[in-house]
Order: sequence, then C-alpha cells, then structure tokens
Amino acid sequence: MVSIRTVNLTKVFGDVVAVDHVSLEIRHGEFFTLLGPSGCGKTTFLRTIAGLEMADEGRIYFDDQDITDMPAHLRGTGMVFQNYALWPHMNVFDNIAYGLKIRKVPKEEIRRRVKEVLKLVKLEGMENRTPHQLSGGQQQRVALARALVINPRVLLFDEPLSNLDAKLRIEMRAELRRLQRELGITAIYVTHDQEEAMSISDRIAVMNKGRIMQIGTPKEIYKNPRNEFVARFIGQGTFIPGEVVSSGEELEVRLESGKVVKAVPSHPDVRLEAGDKALIMIRPESFTLEPGRGYNEFEVEVYHISFLGDSQMLQASNEVENFIIEVDPDLEISVGQKLKVYAPPKHTLAIKL
Amino acid sequence: MGQAAGLSKLLRKIRWEMDAFSWSQLIIVLASFTAFLIVPLGLVIVRSFYSSSGGFSLYWLQTILTDPFYFPLRLKLLNQFPFISLEGIRGSLYEVVKYQTASGEETIVLLTGWDMGVIPNSLVVATFTTLFSTVLGFTLAFIFAKYKFPGSEALRIVSLIPLLSTPFVGAIGLKKMIVADGVLNVLFYDMLHLLPFKIEITGLPAVILVQTLLFYPIVMLNSYTALISVDPTLEEQAINMGASGFRLFRTVTLPLATPGIEAGALLVFILSLEDLGTPIVFKGTTAEKVLTFQIFNRIFTPAGLISQEATTLAMILLVISGLVFVGVRRYVSLKKYAMLSKGGTWRPKRKKLSPAVTLLVYLFILGVLFFATLPHIGVTLLAFAKQWGPTLLPSSFTLDNFIAVLSDREASRCIMNSLVYSSIATLFMVVLGVSAAYLVSRKKSLPGIEALDLLVTIPIAVPGIAVATGLFLTYLGTPLSPTISGAPLLIASYTVRKIPFTVRSVFSGLEQTDKTLDEVAWTVGASKTRTFFSIVMPMILLNVLAGGMLSFIYSMSEVSTGIVVGDANHRDAPMTWKMYDMLFHGLAGGTFQPAALGFLLMTLQFIFIVGANLLLRKRATALIGV
Repeated sequence: MVSIRTVNLTKVFGDVVAVDHVSLEIRHGEFFTLLGPSGCGKTTFLRTIAGLEMADEGRIYFDDQDITDMPAHLRGTGMVFQNYALWPHMNVFDNIAYGLKIRKVPKEEIRRRVKEVLKLVKLEGMENRTPHQLSGGQQQRVALARALVINPRVLLFDEPLSNLDAKLRIEMRAELRRLQRELGITAIYVTHDQEEAMSISDRIAVMNKGRIMQIGTPKEIYKNPRNEFVARFIGQGTFIPGEVVSSGEELEVRLESGKVVKAVPSHPDVRLEAGDKALIMIRPESFTLEPGRGYNEFEVEVYHISFLGDSQMLQASNEVENFIIEVDPDLEISVGQKLKVYAPPKHTLAIKL
Repeated sequence: MGQAAGLSKLLRKIRWEMDAFSWSQLIIVLASFTAFLIVPLGLVIVRSFYSSSGGFSLYWLQTILTDPFYFPLRLKLLNQFPFISLEGIRGSLYEVVKYQTASGEETIVLLTGWDMGVIPNSLVVATFTTLFSTVLGFTLAFIFAKYKFPGSEALRIVSLIPLLSTPFVGAIGLKKMIVADGVLNVLFYDMLHLLPFKIEITGLPAVILVQTLLFYPIVMLNSYTALISVDPTLEEQAINMGASGFRLFRTVTLPLATPGIEAGALLVFILSLEDLGTPIVFKGTTAEKVLTFQIFNRIFTPAGLISQEATTLAMILLVISGLVFVGVRRYVSLKKYAMLSKGGTWRPKRKKLSPAVTLLVYLFILGVLFFATLPHIGVTLLAFAKQWGPTLLPSSFTLDNFIAVLSDREASRCIMNSLVYSSIATLFMVVLGVSAAYLVSRKKSLPGIEALDLLVTIPIAVPGIAVATGLFLTYLGTPLSPTISGAPLLIASYTVRKIPFTVRSVFSGLEQTDKTLDEVAWTVGASKTRTFFSIVMPMILLNVLAGGMLSFIYSMSEVSTGIVVGDANHRDAPMTWKMYDMLFHGLAGGTFQPAALGFLLMTLQFIFIVGANLLLRKRATALIGV
C-alpha cells in the first residue's frame, strides 16, 4: 500500500498542455478516479504516474519516495489498459507469469500464484488458452490478473471497461471494487463515464483541459460542484444565470427575468458577494410540486416527458428559462400542462461565474 | 536562460527515452552507415573537386561538361524560324539495312535511337522508361483494381513476375528475343508474316524496352494499392453528384491515387538511372553511352587507382538522383510511399465487364504478359539450350550448361562467395535493420529520429555504382581493401544498399504491434531491453524473417559493387561478376552458361520471395514492391 502525491505535475505535447500543474494526493488504499471528457489529460496523467510518459515539470511521490525520474519498470505499478494489451504470442499462464519470471520467483511458486490469481478473477483452468480464444470480458480479467499477480504498489486502470457491453461493464465494476478493497491496493482509475466514476470511487477528480476542476467524494461533487464545468459535467440540472443581490447565510440572486431567488453557495469554499455574476443550478430531484411559500417558485409549461420507470423527467419552460424536473412516476401529467414547482433554497445552488 | 532550460529539458528527454541498449542500437546503425555510406559518398563528391595537386579544382567537372562525348548538346541561335536549334544529337532513330539471302532480299529496321551524349542519354532513358512503365503499370493496375473478370486475380499475380528478376538476368534473356534473328522476328516475320520487315531493337531503345518490362510492376503495385486504398464512398459520392466516366476518373480517382503512382514512378526513374546490368548486356552498342556504364568502364586507372573522371561522373549521377529524389519527395516521401503500400482496408467495388470488353481486356493483358515474361522465358530457354540459331525455340535441350557452370571451379566459387557474403550481410542487415526500425517506430517523440528513418530508407535512391566508387575511394589501400579480400566491401555494400527491405518489413510489423504491448511489460517490471527481446522480437519475428529473406535475395543479385570488386579481385568475386565475365570473356558456351547462372539466381529469388510473402500472408500486401 502506498500513497501517491503529485506536485505541479505537467506534461506538454507540442502546443498542447495535456496535464497542467496538477497537485493532488491519493491516500493509502484509496480508489481514486480521474473523470473528464476525452482529451482532458486524464490518461496522460495516469501514464505519467506509470512512468510511460516523462513528466515535463513537477514531481511524483510514492509515499515519500520521489519517483519522477524512475523508469517505468522499477515503479511496481500494475496497469490495466483499455485494449487489455495481452501478448498474442503467449497463453494465459505465460501472460500472467511474465512479471513473476522477471522477479525470478521460483517455478513452483509462480504456478501457485498464477493459479491463485486466476481463481481470484474467476478464470480457473484457463491457463492454456491463448488470448484470441477468450471473450472480451475474459481478456479483461486476464489483464487484471497480470497486473495483480505481481502485488503492485498501485493499480492503474485506463478506461478498462469501455470495450465491454453495458451489462458486463456493471458486473465488472462491482468486481473490480471488491478485489481492490480485499487486496487493499491503492488504485487510480481513469474514465469518461460519470456513472461509472460515481459508483466505483472513494474520491473523484474531475479534470478539464489538463487541470483539476474539483476533487471530492461522489456525493460532494454531485451535491456541491465547485464550478460550472463540474456542475454541468456531473448529472443533470436546471441552469439559470443571474446576479447576486445580497450575500450572507442565504444568498439572494436576481435572475435575468428579474425574479429574485434564495440560494446557497454551491460549495463551502465558494464566496459570493453582492454584484457577482452567478449561475443558479437546481438538480431535477430537488424540485417539488408543493408551492405556496411565495419564493423560489417557478411557473412552467411541460413540453417533453421522459418516463424512466422509477421516475419521470420533465422538460419544461417559462419562456425565458428551461427546466429539468424529476417527478413521481405515478403522477398523471401531459405535454402542454402548466405546473408550479418549488426549489428549496438549500438545494438552489449558486455557482460563481 | 530559455535556451539553457530548453537544452536541459532535451537532455532529460534523451536520458528518459534512451537506455544503454537503445544507445548501442543507435550507435551501431550510425557507425555502419557513416563508415560505409556517408563517408564514401562524401568522398565521391569531395574527390570530384580535387586538382592533381590536391587542391580545390573544377577541372574535371569542366572537362566532362565540355566533352562532346558526355555532353555534346549546344543551343545555336538562328536568323530565321524557329530561331533556336539544338545541336550535337548524333545518329537517327532507326536505320534500314537491306541484304540478300537465299530466298531474296530482306529488310531489317534497326531501332538504334539518337545518341545525345552520355549525360543526356541517361536522363532520356530514365525519362522514357519511367513514362512507359507508368502508363503500362497504371493501366494494368486500373484494370485489376476496378474491373472484375474471370481469372483476374491469377493474371494480376502473373503480371508481377518481372519483379522476380534483376535487370541483369532479364536483359540476357530479352536480348535473345529482340535481335535480328531473335525469337520475335522468327515468330512475327518468318512464321506469322505479320511484319513487312525484320525489326532489331538495339542500343538505348533496347535498354528502355528491357527496363520498362522489368520495372512496370513497381508502378503497378503502387498504383494498385493506391487505387484499392481509396475509400469507394468517395467515388460513389462523386457519382452521386453527377460525375461519371472519364470526368470521374480525372477529377476523383486519379488525384486520389496520384501519391502512389508518383512514388512508384520516382523509384523507376532512379532504378533506371542507376541500372548498370542492362547497358552491360548490350555492350558494344550505344547502350554503353550512359553514366553507369561509363563509370564502371573507367573506374580503375591503368595504375589500379580510382580514376578522377569516373569519380566525377559518379558525383554527377549522385547529384542527379539526389535532385530527383528531393524534388519528388516534396510531394510524396518514401515513408508515405511505404505507408501506401500497406494495402487497402476497404472492400473495393469492382465492375463487371461486357463480354466484348472482357475480350479486349484479355487481349491487352495477355499481350503485355507475353512481352513481360519474354526475359524470363528467354533466360530459361537459353539456360537449357544446346544450340539456338535463328529459330523459335532452341534446336535441342540439355543440362550441359548447368553441369558446365557447376563444374567450373571459378563459377562454383563465385556462387559460394555470393551465398556467404549475402548470408553475412543479411545477419548485419537484420541486426541493424531491426535496431533502426525499432528506434524509428518506438521513439517517435525523440527529436531527429526522422533523420535516422531517412538514412536507412534512402539507399533505395542511391545509385549502386556511386556507392561502389565511394567504397573504393575510401578503402583502397586500407586493410579492408578489395585487393586483399573482396569480402569486406561486398558485405558492407550489400548491407547498406539492401537494408531498406529489412527495415521496411520490420517497421511495418512494429507499426502493426500496439505500443501498449511493450508498455504493459514495463509496468510489470521488464526493462526496455528485456521487453525488446521477450515481447517485441517474438511478435515481429515473421517480419524480421521475411525482410531478411528479401534483403538476402536482393544481395545475391546485386550488380554494381559486385562486378567492380570482381574485376579487382577475381578470387573473391560474386556470382553476378561471373555472369558478366562469362558473357564477354567466356571461352565457350556464349550466353548459355551465364543464362544458366541467371536461371539459378532467378529460381532462388522466386523461392525466397514467394517464401517471404507466404510467411507474412496478408500482413504486408505489397512487400515485394521494392
């Protein structure tokens, strides 16, 4: 087990700053996810940690050891690639045993450990298969076994589930998490799939254009986005621009329609003063159909309904603003219907612009 | 400050990418190429500008450019239309010779071509060879790529046969076909009476004919690959917008296939320019008056030194090919050319032809194939002929030529020499070629790596006779001198000249192997060196083998260095020198014994090329495309 720390880590490709002065700390045994759109630098960050790319600036520490200039093969990472990267000229056993042979582990022990790890990933008896005889899910498990068998200090996952079909992906997700927790290995996981990130991670770092936008638990980044990018990238919401008219425990924000709403800062660190531009964000499930308070109420007309089984998602508007509202699946509602909705001030988040 | 920071960053980058193993790979490649290509070619250029006392001088360049033998062309201003005339061209396109035979008067039309002096001749021959090869090669490629007819795949493969032969071997066979009492005249004049007179093709036109028939497959292969690599939807889109027929061809199909055609044409131009084998076979005619032959003919001074005249000619040849290469490279690099040859990923759409058109297509293709296979048929027949007068086929067949060749002590020693030198050279090519291809493929981010790529690809475009001249200039009188042993320079020459085949095969293998397969080995603890041997090499083994086989067989058939070294040292001469020697200095057997040697070489070549392609199957469609 190891903690990982980066200080001002930077990687440049030509004119593109792929990773831009990233400083963060990943704790012992933590399952840490880098989440962001494609091209945001998350994979480059991971590859720099693995030693596959040279850091142009900044330092990387495993515990207190500076490994910035250490070659990849001495870092003791286990990496699972998006394309699995199984060696086609070796069978399953040889693929997994390769790292042990390099470590000069005795033959008998190699056999035992490969067997153990195959059991762990539920591929008992598959030793003699060649990679092309395996399904995508099985290849995935072999790649995982190969990374696990060397008892790595840290596990690195580069979008490992993106080539699997949806059902298998959800199954493997739970399994990865179970294995990582059982073995207690620090893991860094890269994905562009926010649902995957939310369901698997202890903490998530949302990245955009090489920079960290926010680090937090799944709940934190959903409930308390620090900025507009995180708010829009994670989940759905109703977004209305406005201007802060009074600050304090509760803010008052004047929307462009002239209406003033009560809101709270989106994140404890966000400071908003009167006169600041702000973006109001309300999650679909924060709306209720119980108006009557005289504030934070919106009169809207429904123009689209998505029935999702456990809920209904309404798209509605009041001519100036668009709303996404989650309602009970049993509610009888039709397109064109007018509704009055209420958003409690504590769920009406003001994001600093 | 900024500069210093940039420099230290660069140094860090180099330290990061290059471990001891990579350094040793880089150093052996650079050292070998410096010693056996860069320094020799540099000396060719420098020595051309030496005066007899050792200082800088334009004497030889001036002497050559003002000598009517090399460059007779002069522009003369006239008083009347067209006001300018080009003087210095000698001879005429053809001569008519009449003579009496027992059956009456016979007319022979001798196609001799004009003689414009050595330097213009070389350029004219290369230009016409390129033109004809391109038209022929592209037409065939177009037919095979766009139309469907029974047997098209088989015919396409047969039309690549000329690739299985060096100009030297092919020219021996073709010569027997096109002389006055040769097979073509026997067939078309004596037997079928299709010709009103006999035609003999000789001199420069013969060189153009031989080269066209031997080089068109290069353009064909490249055009074919380019044509089937074009996304068919691009053409469909054009048809959808109303283009059809010739307009579609001119505005969409041709431009898309142009890079492939250009690459092939460039290669043909340079191969024609540097071809020494064909002019040698037609020795005694104007075919002698080309740069390669003149360099070869006067490379040694009577004192056994390298003549300055030949050196200067080699410099001129080198500069011309260099200019052509650089000029065309602006449009299409050899690298891009290599990529184009990787083969199409589309499922090409082929049109069916009406029966009448199919018949026409068959006639055209079979006609081309008839001529294209003449050299090979010729060599084969000659090799097995006991006697062959003015008849269609030899009057009797025998194995005596092979027995004679194999029992001739010098000939069998030369075969042995060739096998040994080529094997050793292949070992070097594999080590150097794999090293270079690995560095180029896996260390793309290192600045300057493109230069290494160019260095190991460019030998395709360097005239062999210039390399030979340079090697002699550099190593005559040193322990590597060919007068002591022919082996070192021949092996060195084979290695630097034929390495592109290995490099390209290995490189394409590496490019098809995902880099993450290396990376994952590093992450589980394998050093880069260990990864290279236990992961990378096993995955590209077939490409290494196939590339090595091609390099081996092209080494066996190397002409330029071989016959120059052979002339200097008969004992260590290779097989190609023996063929040359038997053609002109042989006591008995005439062309039969050299043809037998040529047939052996051709057979070996066939086995190796087919073998290499079988090894790779579909991994490298156009591997034999030079």
